[in-house]
Amino acid sequence: MIRNLYVVYGMIVLGTLAMAEYRGWSLNSVNEVKNVPRSVRDNPGSYRSVYSGYHHYTGGK
Amino acid sequence: MSTSGPNPPGTPQVKALNCPGCGAAITLRSFSQAVTVVCDHCHSILDAQDPQLTILQKFKAAVGEDAPLIPLGTRGTIRGTPYEAVGFQRRTIHVDGMPYSWREYVLFNPFKGFRYLTEYNGHWNDTSILRSLPTVNDNMSPATVTYLGETYRLFQSTKAGTSFVLGEFPWQVRVGEASDVSDYIHPPRVISSERNGNEITWSMGEYMAGRDVWKAFRLPGNPPDAIGVYENQPSPLSADTTALWLAFVGFLVALVVMFIAFESFARNERVFQGFYSFNTNVRGEASFVTEAFALKGRTSDLELTTTSDVNNNWIYLNYALINQDTGQAYDFGREVSYYRGYDSDGSWTEGGHTDRVAIPSVPPGNYYLRVEPESDFGHGTIAYAISAKRDVPQASYFGIALLALLVPAGLITWRSLSFEHLRWAESDYAPAGSGDEDSDNAGRPTGLGIFGKGSDS
Repeated sequence: MIRNLYVVYGMIVLGTLAMAEYRGWSLNSVNEVKNVPRSVRDNPGSYRSVYSGYHHYTGGK
Repeated sequence: MSTSGPNPPGTPQVKALNCPGCGAAITLRSFSQAVTVVCDHCHSILDAQDPQLTILQKFKAAVGEDAPLIPLGTRGTIRGTPYEAVGFQRRTIHVDGMPYSWREYVLFNPFKGFRYLTEYNGHWNDTSILRSLPTVNDNMSPATVTYLGETYRLFQSTKAGTSFVLGEFPWQVRVGEASDVSDYIHPPRVISSERNGNEITWSMGEYMAGRDVWKAFRLPGNPPDAIGVYENQPSPLSADTTALWLAFVGFLVALVVMFIAFESFARNERVFQGFYSFNTNVRGEASFVTEAFALKGRTSDLELTTTSDVNNNWIYLNYALINQDTGQAYDFGREVSYYRGYDSDGSWTEGGHTDRVAIPSVPPGNYYLRVEPESDFGHGTIAYAISAKRDVPQASYFGIALLALLVPAGLITWRSLSFEHLRWAESDYAPAGSGDEDSDNAGRPTGLGIFGKGSDS
């Protein structure tokens, strides 16, 4: 019983892994933005990244 | 003495008798098969083989002192054969002055003979006398017996006494009589030896759940809850553990094959590379866009690598990967920072010169990168490089999958080992450190030392 459940679970794990690799899933967080105007190509400054203004680590030990 | 009316062949008949001690009616359900019968009024143990029912022993017991959970006269079906509960005894051992008792039920079928049920703390065993002798191997520690190709390990040995009896018995039962009992286990079975003088009776029990006993005898209510782990209680998990690890090995092989396959067949194609510098001494708009590059094939990831020669410094890059045809953008930020120094603990470093990120599920198309570098003002020029690879297998997923497969197998194995640990903690042969002496159930009685006088000696 437990073995059968484990086999089903393992197949789900491997299936998910195969799908993740095939479709290129990633654990990294990116923000999807739709309809970025074509003008950004000529005027990069007109695009405002959602990540700008990030507080950076400037320390060291 | 009288008998009940005519019955069809094969139907158990009941013989009615009177106790010579108190005159109370005595029901004899197993006829000449009973060797002793107990009067439940005056607690006289009578010789059932004697037409005069000679009194063999009288013992003191309160009325209803130990009412059988299966009332005598109840009929049930065990392994497809109907049986009637005809006798009941309580047996007791003493450990450090503390009495521990279990109960045994004598079942009778006129064609199959006697069979027994034992109960301790809600754990039941269906038991019968062995028809052939097991082979004892007492050179080992703990000793073992072999029977029908299975090896049973000695669990515990003790002296058990009969402390209460009721009904009929196929041997001359006596209250106070004690015998040496040893249990050898091979869950869910147990083989018990009971030595009485020079006689040894061997019996085999198989673990039964209380609910199955209740179902077999159609008893009202619910059986008592099983407490603790019993000596021959089958582990709910141990049978599966080996099969589980075999399945795990199979999955491991599949995982390796998948890893090789994805590494071999992934495009892993460099689609962009650019070298840049960022002058931190200059204020103003720093953002720029790269030349466009094509992402081919199916929807898959894009791995972006940023390298920089920062030294005790950092550079942060606001990235936007923009599909120039659809306007779909993936916006993210990455930082490369590297610090080093020396203190009382010696030299140290922190961070690195390279950062990698996988952008998930990017459809094919023509893309460009919008890059906006940031850093502290006045730190000179920082050189950095950006490269992008299409369809890169993510090794971390294989690690996660391995962990996901390993954790449940490990947990189940751990639970199985814990179950066995609890079982053997109650044994005379408890592993070191199992805390037998401190256990609440320490000295638990053997479950199956049943028979006062057996025939298979």
